[in-house]
Amino acid sequence: MKGTNLGELEELILLTVGSLFDEAYGVAVMDELRERTGRDLNISAAHAVLRRLEEKNLLSSRMGGSTNERGGRRKRLFTLTKAGKKALDHTIAIRTSLYNRIPDLTYNFSV
Amino acid sequence: MKQPNPPYWADRFLRWYCNPRFLEEIEGDIYELFDRRAEKKGHKTARIKFIWDVLRFFRWSNIKKSNSNYSTMNSGLLFKNYLKLGLRNIRKNFVSSSINIFGLAIAIGFAITTFIFADMQLNMDTFHTNRDRIYQLTNFVDQDGDDKRWSDSPILLGPQLLADHPGVEAVSRVEYRSASVRFNADVFDELATFVDPSYMEIFDFPLLNGNKQVLYDKSQIVISREMAIKYFDDEDPMGKDLSFKFLNGKIMRFTVGAVMDEFPFNNSMRDEFYISIENFFDLQFQDKYTWSFLTDGTFILMKEGENIESIASSYPEYIELQHGSNPEWNIRSFEPIPLPELSQRGYEIVGSVSGGGHPAGRIALAVIACFLLGMACFNFMNISVVSATKRLKEIALRKVMGGQRRQIINQFLVENTLQCLFALMFGILLAYFLFIPGFDALVPQMDLQLRASSAMAMFLFFVSLLIGVGLISGAYPAFYISKFEPVTIFKGTQKLGSKNLFSKIMLGIQFFLAIITIVACLVMVDQSFYLASKDWGYDPSGSLSVYVNSEEQYEKLRNEIIASPDVQTFTASSNLIGRGVALRAMEYDGRQIRVRNYGVREGYFETFRLRLKEGRFLTDQAADQESAVVVNEKFVKEMGWTDDPINKTFVYDSLRRTIVGVVEDYHYYDFYSGIDAVIIEGLKTSNVRYLSMRTSSDKVFELDMFTKEAWQKIAPNDPYDRVFQEDVFDDFYIENTANIKILIVVSIIAIVLACLGLYGLLSFNIQGKLKEFSVRKVLGAAPRTLAQIAGKQYMWIILISFVAGAPLGFLGMDQLMNSIFIDVKGVSILPFAIAIVLLSITMIITVAGQVRKAIEINPAEVLRSE
Repeated sequence: MKGTNLGELEELILLTVGSLFDEAYGVAVMDELRERTGRDLNISAAHAVLRRLEEKNLLSSRMGGSTNERGGRRKRLFTLTKAGKKALDHTIAIRTSLYNRIPDLTYNFSV
Repeated sequence: MKQPNPPYWADRFLRWYCNPRFLEEIEGDIYELFDRRAEKKGHKTARIKFIWDVLRFFRWSNIKKSNSNYSTMNSGLLFKNYLKLGLRNIRKNFVSSSINIFGLAIAIGFAITTFIFADMQLNMDTFHTNRDRIYQLTNFVDQDGDDKRWSDSPILLGPQLLADHPGVEAVSRVEYRSASVRFNADVFDELATFVDPSYMEIFDFPLLNGNKQVLYDKSQIVISREMAIKYFDDEDPMGKDLSFKFLNGKIMRFTVGAVMDEFPFNNSMRDEFYISIENFFDLQFQDKYTWSFLTDGTFILMKEGENIESIASSYPEYIELQHGSNPEWNIRSFEPIPLPELSQRGYEIVGSVSGGGHPAGRIALAVIACFLLGMACFNFMNISVVSATKRLKEIALRKVMGGQRRQIINQFLVENTLQCLFALMFGILLAYFLFIPGFDALVPQMDLQLRASSAMAMFLFFVSLLIGVGLISGAYPAFYISKFEPVTIFKGTQKLGSKNLFSKIMLGIQFFLAIITIVACLVMVDQSFYLASKDWGYDPSGSLSVYVNSEEQYEKLRNEIIASPDVQTFTASSNLIGRGVALRAMEYDGRQIRVRNYGVREGYFETFRLRLKEGRFLTDQAADQESAVVVNEKFVKEMGWTDDPINKTFVYDSLRRTIVGVVEDYHYYDFYSGIDAVIIEGLKTSNVRYLSMRTSSDKVFELDMFTKEAWQKIAPNDPYDRVFQEDVFDDFYIENTANIKILIVVSIIAIVLACLGLYGLLSFNIQGKLKEFSVRKVLGAAPRTLAQIAGKQYMWIILISFVAGAPLGFLGMDQLMNSIFIDVKGVSILPFAIAIVLLSITMIITVAGQVRKAIEINPAEVLRSE
């Protein structure tokens, strides 16, 4: 089904949220992504993707506690849902299976 | 250290557009980024990036779409409620609502009339399918320093263009000639239009019968429907013969080959007979037609996709050809005018083929319509605000029950738009039944009806009128009233109405507009009356002239009419006052002087009662007929003579003339044109054209009958063309009277609107002050004191708006009049006095009516409720 397939950025952000575990909010996701992959996202793009993933039920969110940072504004913290984890497993499984089907011959560049 | 801040406005913008559900997280994130950047890269970069972030977040998913689910849920129900309440309120406050609706309706009706009038004028000739490719080639002629744009162009220009430029699809010349047209026993004077056969193909006049190619057969003509009815009644006109007798005496017979349907209402060229131009050459008004002969107009049809500018390269060549042929008439340059603009620019063109008046009238009407609409809107605003004060508790209750401010605004907008809708409908009715027929009757030859160039344009106009007026007049009350806090309303501390500066300013503006309109109209009316009563410089009443073709006919007719005892004096002349004599240039003392010149016989001065100033009139003695002339005062002034002009001589038309008499200035044409220098000379036998008689003014019609019988005896083949001198300027008088009537109507509307506004406001004001009045009354105040208290503040408003408005109205009108009339009456105090008196009287009546209510009421009734 088309709806369950993940876009590349969606996949990356889903992975990032998973890896950040309990500290995944907009800026953190953006920073992590830049650090790990070198991709420079605008914060609004990060928000848009996070919200889209939440609408697809791949992420769930809650408001964090109020701190002295950010003028006392709370963060929206995202966590991976079961469906999200499944979707990740699914994509990675597809990739691995496709990857494994590449015959060794392909690497034989010297021929 | 100062804490760095992101730009305030950017943050505000974010808060404004952002869906509140997401605001906190978004704001938090970009603030966090801002702080971080401010630390690392400096304040400035951080601010710029902050703005960038805010802009990037401005996307559909983040924008707040609706305030709450609640309002979308039952807005349909609420809307119904608003409508019902609106209707109930109109019924409940019947007086103020009908004042509102009526005032608006009058203004809207006037605006609709103006729209239709302007729409018609702006869409002249748009029914021709080739309209964008049709041009009239006009030219500029510098005539003794008098540079004008002429419709007349060399007759050879058209064919030359067609031969020289492949981009030109067709050309047609237009040449007008008078003719006596005869069918069986009926003879009428008509204007025949000679055109190239392609004319009917270039233009799209709808045809009832026949086809567009008939003119290629030069024995066939195209006639209008009106003419078909005039000559043939119910008979089929096709194939019938009409005979045309032209001014050079030649007679031609033509067969009706096609009949045009009724002209579309936006047609500016109403020609009745179209004849192939070949016949014009056959008529031989001249032996040879060269570049020096000017025809009345030249039309060009360009091929599709071709630019009219492509012909410009040949202009110098044509100018040279024309100069070579007639060095005295110097065409300076050519300019094509597209057909759709032709009628609107008709006033710029001398001898314009399509009619079309000066745009000043159109502009003045539009301005007046805007003023009236503005007054009505202010009126509406004022009354809505004040009438809403009666409903403060309702508003407070709505708010307490959870109504949001926006809903209150909506409610008032709906109610006001509802009233506007009624006003619009009423206004359309007014326009349809009253204004448009009235306007149509006042302006003859206009054929004004409720219709527009396109139904869409009219529909859009109505809708924009409704929305525009509804919003303008409804927005302020809605926003103003919805702002109040329920608590202050319930506590009764909400200040409103009587001390409201806003409503006073509104009333002031209303009066300001009213005074501008009234003063402007009255100044114009004053001018029109001045013109209407102005002296022509001679006495046109009781004088009757008949057109004769020759000296011989003149002699015959004279012998007949001498028998009538009614004829007091009679004379012959070459031209008639009011009927064409061209201005001609004469040279004197190295200067150019433009004069009108015509010939007369003895008796002329008595017949028309020209007033002698010095010297004597012309006689029929040979010496007088040879070289003696009578001139007017203007001529003496133009020549620059300060001493006695009698017996002075000058050369005109290569003949030395001696002045024997000077007459007072008189108007040769209407008052729109000024007084020209005139030379009246003896009449050559070949120039006899009019026989003029004078009788007492009550005998004119009897004399007319008598002369007509005589005419039919001596010249049965020629039409009886007689002119009552009094009728010569009928068009002028009709137009002038129409102007006066329109302006008076407009002034009355302005006064009514202003007074409706005053009445509405005052009645609310007094109601609000009833308690105060009652207390004053109980304590012994006289009715006069009460009236003073109620009226004083309004007196000031009127005074201030008068001081501001009257000079503006006068200045605007003065500008307009100076652009239309040559002879403008000076400022008089009268229009101002009338304006202020009218307004004061109506104000006093309004105030008195309202104050009486307050005075008559029993104080106990009012005060008891406390």
